[in-house]
Amino acid sequence: MTTLIVIDQAPYGSWSGREALDMAFSLAAFDHPAAMLFTGPGVNWLRKGQQPDGVGQKSAEKNLSAAPLFGIEALIADEHACQQYGLSESAMLPGIELASNIQNVLSSHTHVVFAG
Amino acid sequence: MKSNSTLHILNKAPEHPRHKTCTQALTPSDTLVLIENGVLSVAGNHLDAPCKLYVLKADTDARGLEAASEDITTINYDELVQLTTKHAKIISW
Repeated sequence: MTTLIVIDQAPYGSWSGREALDMAFSLAAFDHPAAMLFTGPGVNWLRKGQQPDGVGQKSAEKNLSAAPLFGIEALIADEHACQQYGLSESAMLPGIELASNIQNVLSSHTHVVFAG
Repeated sequence: MKSNSTLHILNKAPEHPRHKTCTQALTPSDTLVLIENGVLSVAGNHLDAPCKLYVLKADTDARGLEAASEDITTINYDELVQLTTKHAKIISW
């Protein structure tokens, strides 16, 4: 019974996405299956080449690249939102699944949690 | 810089309702600076500003973005402060 954590907010602008990430990693660390869905401005978490030194934060990109290590089952991106934000697959972190229909993703999980 | 010009500072992502309100308020003599989540407007076609447009480098760097258009000027924090001194009025959206 995989828990789906949904991030629909942009990285760095607020803490809610970061808290969702902590939740996903904590679930996985305690052997509760977890997956993550990125939609809306949230797809910007997945962009390569983030350099947040200038805003005094840690790299969301680096955090996310540790997801397989923690046992997160899947990182899923809303294809439509990626197009909206000009985010091509080559500009994205490796290992991301693209979903053309997020309704299917949402309905295939018993537990769905939104950030923020 | 005209004395009646306004500096608009936008820190909201394109989906935020205030993003639209801000862009509707722009006039050609104004200046728009995108900061924080506002810089996400440069990814994809989210912005059609009729005025001079700036983005804050620290925020585009953080998000792995580049201002692709020649119409957008990249500035640092010091230059942002300079802009605030050159406008009669500032609106932080």
